[in-house]
Amino acid sequence: MNAHPSPIQPIELKGRMILVSILRLHDADTHRLNEALDARMREAPELMRDMPLLMDVEHLTDISEEALTQVIEIVRRRGFKLIGLQQGAAAQSIAARTALPLIVLGSKGGELPLRTTQPPQAEAANESPPVAHKDSAPIQALHTASLVVNQPVRSGQQVYARGGDLIVLGTVSAGAELLADGHIHVYGTLRGKALAGVRGLVGAKIFCRRLDAELVSIAGHYRIAEDILDAERGDNRLVTLAGETIDISEI
Amino acid sequence: MARIVVITSGKGGVGKTTTSAALATGLALEGRKTAVIDFDVGLRNLDLIMGCERRVVYDFVNVINGDANLRQALIKDKRTDNLFILPASQTRDKDALTEAGVEKVLDELSQEFEYIVCDSPAGIERGALMAAYFADEAIVVTNPEVSSVRDSDRMLGILSSKTRKAERGEGGLPARLLLTRYAPERVERGEMLSMEDVTEILSIDMLGVVPESQSVLNASNAGMPVILDEESDAGQAYRDAVARFLGEDRPHRFLSTQKKGLFGRLFRG
Repeated sequence: MNAHPSPIQPIELKGRMILVSILRLHDADTHRLNEALDARMREAPELMRDMPLLMDVEHLTDISEEALTQVIEIVRRRGFKLIGLQQGAAAQSIAARTALPLIVLGSKGGELPLRTTQPPQAEAANESPPVAHKDSAPIQALHTASLVVNQPVRSGQQVYARGGDLIVLGTVSAGAELLADGHIHVYGTLRGKALAGVRGLVGAKIFCRRLDAELVSIAGHYRIAEDILDAERGDNRLVTLAGETIDISEI
Repeated sequence: MARIVVITSGKGGVGKTTTSAALATGLALEGRKTAVIDFDVGLRNLDLIMGCERRVVYDFVNVINGDANLRQALIKDKRTDNLFILPASQTRDKDALTEAGVEKVLDELSQEFEYIVCDSPAGIERGALMAAYFADEAIVVTNPEVSSVRDSDRMLGILSSKTRKAERGEGGLPARLLLTRYAPERVERGEMLSMEDVTEILSIDMLGVVPESQSVLNASNAGMPVILDEESDAGQAYRDAVARFLGEDRPHRFLSTQKKGLFGRLFRG
């Protein structure tokens, strides 16, 4: 027995939320892929650099091993941090060949076969047993306590409302970041970033008394300041997700 | 017990040391016994602005390390009664500022002084955090331009979480803003943020607005706190700020351009 245990633990396990983007590939043609990525990077080079990325390969049918290696190489060379493949039938067979982990995300439900120990069979997977469902169920709007912040959120500060809504009574400065599993309400001016439904709640919304944001995001879909029109900025705004586009409207 | 005030900003070159010298001198002129400490270890400036650089023997770090006692290190101001300066060390770096050491010096000063003004270095590293950690309130110095305002915003966030007051759960540090180098004609031309813009962005009370003025540079070069230049607009603005700091309600001046006629030109210089 050690009579004087060190106060410093050898490891620490900390929960951290990061925003992961999904790169959905519709085409394995490396030339076209290169062009498309170039175009995107010109739009927002800062945002793209070191962006954590999941690849969704469900729309690629029978891709050759060589082509796949090339695609992964292209994506990595662009500076994206490829962290894995989004779970799916096609991904399962590809994962084995690429040493990339399969990652299950809370999704819109039913779109992806859920994790199962059975060999991938789309039909069977859709009717997977409840146990499997529980494992990867999308986040529901379970009502947990909202987090209320009654002072300004300043540049460099980050507030995360885990499992619920985030209500900020003051102003959110440029360089500040709000994250919530549910909705986000800002009763001052929103100048920083606001990410609602960060664990996949597509029905999450952002309400603000005045919108002048650097970024708004719902369930991983986002618009950066450059994509927010002057006409969309202003008083009493509501940000919602319609399909795959972020809508900004007046309340 | 003394009241400890930190003069901070995040960004460098916005007027922290000028403000520390002005506030400390202003408080002393009002009969409050005041000590002003230069926390900018390694880049000391306050002694120059206060015009006492030739009388520095021992410094803040010497006191922390026990090489000298506080009485030996404190420099009595020659122009103003009730005012003492604790200069920074030029040869050490900011790691010499230990939490226990800073606390000991502040505790000792608190026995004797009514106000302790801490002149923070720029940045958000150790020196700046130490200057703010034990404070009772903060004055954030900002220039009316976006990068300075953003850095001040960042600093306000730090003041609300990384001070002793915040760690004890007594809430964030009360902070007020001092807007310096304000040029009304540039505001009117839309080249500079207005006082209203800055107040709105930072959601914080305004302690004072000090106009851009040649007199600030002249005073620094002469080693005299600008607040002693009663003729200058900057000096008067600092007097107003000190009065507000002590609880007086004074309107903000020097916010609009003054149309100088021939008479004005002749007599104002």
